[in-house]
Amino acid sequence: MTVAAVHGGGIADHIHPEPQSFIRRYIFSIDHKIIGIQYIITGFVFLVLSGMLAELIRVQLMHANGGLVSNDTYNEIYSVHGSAMVWLVIIPLVTGGFGNFVMPLQIGARDVAFPWLNMLSFWMFPVAGLMLFSSFLIGAPVAGWTEYPPMSLQAGPGTSMWCAAIFLIGVSSTLTGINFLVTILKMRAPGMTFTRMPLFVWAQLATAPLSMVATTALAAALAALFIERQFGVPFYDPTKGGSPILWQHMFWFYSHPAVYIMILPAFGIISEVLPTFSRKPIFGYKMIAFSSVAIALAGFMVWAHHMFTSGLAPFLQLPFMILTFVIGVPTGIKIFSWMATLWGGKIHFTSSMLFAIGFLALFTFGGITGILLAAVPFDFHVHGTYFVVAHFHYVLVGGSLMGIFAGTYYWFPKMTGRLMNEFWGRLHFWLFFIGFNGTFLPMHWLGILGMPRRVPVYDPQFQGWNQFESIMSFVMTLGILIFFANLLVSIRNGKKGGANPWNARTLEWQIPSPPHYYNFKNIPAVYALPYDFSEPLPYTGLENELTDSPAPATAGAH
Amino acid sequence: MAVATLPHAQTADHGEVDRLYAETRDLRLNGFLLFLVSDVVLFSSFIFAYLYMRNTGQGWPPPGINRLDVAFAALNSVVLFGSGATMHYALENWKHGNFGRYAGLMVATIVLGAMFLCGQGYEYTTLYFREHVSWAGSGIFGASFFTLTGMHGFHVFVGVWYLTVLLLQSVHGVYTKQKYFGLTAGTLYWHFVDVIWVVLFSIFYLI
Ligand SMILES: [Cu+2]
Repeated sequence: MTVAAVHGGGIADHIHPEPQSFIRRYIFSIDHKIIGIQYIITGFVFLVLSGMLAELIRVQLMHANGGLVSNDTYNEIYSVHGSAMVWLVIIPLVTGGFGNFVMPLQIGARDVAFPWLNMLSFWMFPVAGLMLFSSFLIGAPVAGWTEYPPMSLQAGPGTSMWCAAIFLIGVSSTLTGINFLVTILKMRAPGMTFTRMPLFVWAQLATAPLSMVATTALAAALAALFIERQFGVPFYDPTKGGSPILWQHMFWFYSHPAVYIMILPAFGIISEVLPTFSRKPIFGYKMIAFSSVAIALAGFMVWAHHMFTSGLAPFLQLPFMILTFVIGVPTGIKIFSWMATLWGGKIHFTSSMLFAIGFLALFTFGGITGILLAAVPFDFHVHGTYFVVAHFHYVLVGGSLMGIFAGTYYWFPKMTGRLMNEFWGRLHFWLFFIGFNGTFLPMHWLGILGMPRRVPVYDPQFQGWNQFESIMSFVMTLGILIFFANLLVSIRNGKKGGANPWNARTLEWQIPSPPHYYNFKNIPAVYALPYDFSEPLPYTGLENELTDSPAPATAGAH
Repeated sequence: MAVATLPHAQTADHGEVDRLYAETRDLRLNGFLLFLVSDVVLFSSFIFAYLYMRNTGQGWPPPGINRLDVAFAALNSVVLFGSGATMHYALENWKHGNFGRYAGLMVATIVLGAMFLCGQGYEYTTLYFREHVSWAGSGIFGASFFTLTGMHGFHVFVGVWYLTVLLLQSVHGVYTKQKYFGLTAGTLYWHFVDVIWVVLFSIFYLI
């Protein structure tokens, strides 16, 4: 066996031969870039499906007496909508999607640590998605995305399918977490110390242990629910000595950190987009980086703030309330750092930047209502109302999904070599932003007035606002449709963007668009942070990237 | 400002293969350890569930169920810990090139692991037929005991097969004195199974 490889970056510099067949190249690919794009496409397909479910909810709520679907069907719709948005759209898009495509490029690696495992992780995702949506055929879950027992114990067979689907996507998430953690810790280009890593990489580094640890805890809870439903082994059934509260503990021990799995990578996207389009170094690099880690750690100690009304002992309520307030501090530090980055910058209002700024506004708002909800007395009043629905949509749609849109406009040129249309991009932003606020802002006061969530019919006094919300949700959907049209058209007909259309400074922009299979001809060396816009680029070894010089030699099979 | 230097291109030589091995071993070791960490979390979650249910119930064991047979389980534990020791020395002997002694110790580890499983099988059947304690029919006691020890038993079962495969592989020359990542992983896994058992033994039989 002969091995001829140019070794500049240790393990990061190990090149496998490029596969030639269509199937190995685009279907069962082990290339992180293709896998990232596969995640993004699949995630967007599920976004369309979950969005359709959301619109069914809004149409049903146009009238106080409902009338579109039966009460049971309504339960199925919002349960699958929530589950799909969390596990099939946001988490896979921000970790498997952008994480896979961008992170190895940004650290100057040729691939992730375990490419084959990466492929396996990806393929669990569409299978899990099909399982979740096919549960409609056998009676989908009806207890919401949180699936509290005893209702989830009594519901039809689709709930077991739900358990299996979420378990599978959880395994996928855990494997991706392991993969990313090893990649970031071990495969950075020479000279890229921790304090020279791009902030998107920091965000993935903080997220990976969460997807590894928290998701495994969820797997245990799901396995127990599945076992109890299928074999009658009592964990959660109080009539047999089990405890429904146990599920809530196990579920939220995962699902609060899961909020950070969904939002930290979006923070990372924003931290790349903001300095690039304000042409200014990011303010407080270390504070943004370390606060991600602080948030990730503290995120494990606050889960019971979801359980204030579940009979949590009062002496436990106080620490959980205070710890939740404490998480507001690193989050606030980030928001201030981003504001300071914008301050006095030469701001380019590209579509990507618009979404990043929109993110700042909406996420901050959602964060503040989160602090309100963490206050025990206020939570007692609004728990289980539309106030909660409004809060988490501001964080997850106004936050994570806006981050995903910002990232799509930002990295689309790197993935395809073409730019997305800016006019339609801006239209997408304004329709989405206005439609989103119109849909979810009124939910705050409807919740405070006492409109309960998860009901197919409601008090007629709320009908006016609900009709307004539904109409605004159509505006938001129109924005998303424009986004998808723009995306599809731009793949073939977008303006050519070249290697670095935004004049960005992280490593992925210093190589051709789309990048070669092997990413870098030579693994570059890094000697400073990427965000200092007045300095020359802090890399060496990139001279040949944009020339016609030959590709690096590959290592043989071994 | 420290400027990182880019090492110059190296020509292919025999050292290259070893270097690739060393690098990938490092990655795989890290990945495998992280896998074990997530496995620890899986066990911890079920242990949390067990302790939680135990605390909300009316005493432990619940009324109508006898205490577990500590003496037998202790004996069985000794068998498992013994296999941990033989595994440790098997790897040490491999590293020093004593392949014959390595093979003997591996066989001992596999046999001891299988004995532990038989012991667990005996314990389960006694519980089921003599004490009428079952997974689904004995409330939270059966649920937590059989789920957790069953999960552990499954890990031992997988481990016994894994070690058998490793032994066969090493007989067929898959590993060398310098390159034996599979054996390292097998040893780590087996110690992991041991440590989990220490915890399970304490919380089910001792407290
Ligand atoms: Cu929470």
